[in-house]
Amino acid sequence: MSQVAEPDLKENTDEVAEHDRPWIVLVWNDPINLMSYVSFVFQKLFGYSKEKADELMLDVHEKGRAVVSNGPREKAEIDVFRLHEHGLWATMQQDS
Amino acid sequence: MRRKRQSGPIEAIDNGLFEIRLTSDERATLLGFVDQLVEVMLAPPSDPRLRRLFPTAYHDNPEFDSEYQTYMRDELAQSRATSIQTVREVLSSEDPLTESQLYAFMTVLNSLRLVLGTLLDVDEADDLDLIPEDSPAYGQAQLYEYLGWLLEWTVSALSGE
Repeated sequence: MSQVAEPDLKENTDEVAEHDRPWIVLVWNDPINLMSYVSFVFQKLFGYSKEKADELMLDVHEKGRAVVSNGPREKAEIDVFRLHEHGLWATMQQDS
Repeated sequence: MRRKRQSGPIEAIDNGLFEIRLTSDERATLLGFVDQLVEVMLAPPSDPRLRRLFPTAYHDNPEFDSEYQTYMRDELAQSRATSIQTVREVLSSEDPLTESQLYAFMTVLNSLRLVLGTLLDVDEADDLDLIPEDSPAYGQAQLYEYLGWLLEWTVSALSGE
């Protein structure tokens, strides 16, 4: 078997990796939104089961925040927008 | 304003429709607060009452956030205005509601709670029942609790509970 020298792609890959690093959408605890409402919104927006949505809602409540979705920046922006439409305190950041 | 009833104020009826059982006084009160919400939404972006209605999207990147707000803020305001219009129609009529009308009702109730909760500076430890009756915040606190009660019923009706 012959071997072909691999081109040095290192620099490019780093840039691509930076660009592709997924974004995460966080929901932060707030004292106003009702727990039942928050869980219901998670089910509606992300199609989560009641169990999964309740778990996330309790994470928000007890730990102060939870990651509710992730993906490319454009998708994360849409998720944040829909959460804001529902009055939830959502933000996004690039995953570290 | 909080009452115990045999059945709730929001109930699923036939054909996937819902009924809101509110007195005309309650409907008028809610319509009045919806009008106030519309006014609040016209306030300048820096108005503290809007803080929870138009939150930051990028908490660690002000540059991205300002870009985001430039093109999304109006869209968010438009979406709220559409729901508010639906709620005005629903509250002014005795007709049953479709699921999407009740959904709009739910999000508007929540917006009203966000504005009132911000005004009342509600935090986890707060007990609104302790606000004295002669305090200017008393009426707001009553309304806040009433909206919470109505919202709970709306969520359970939409969840099929």
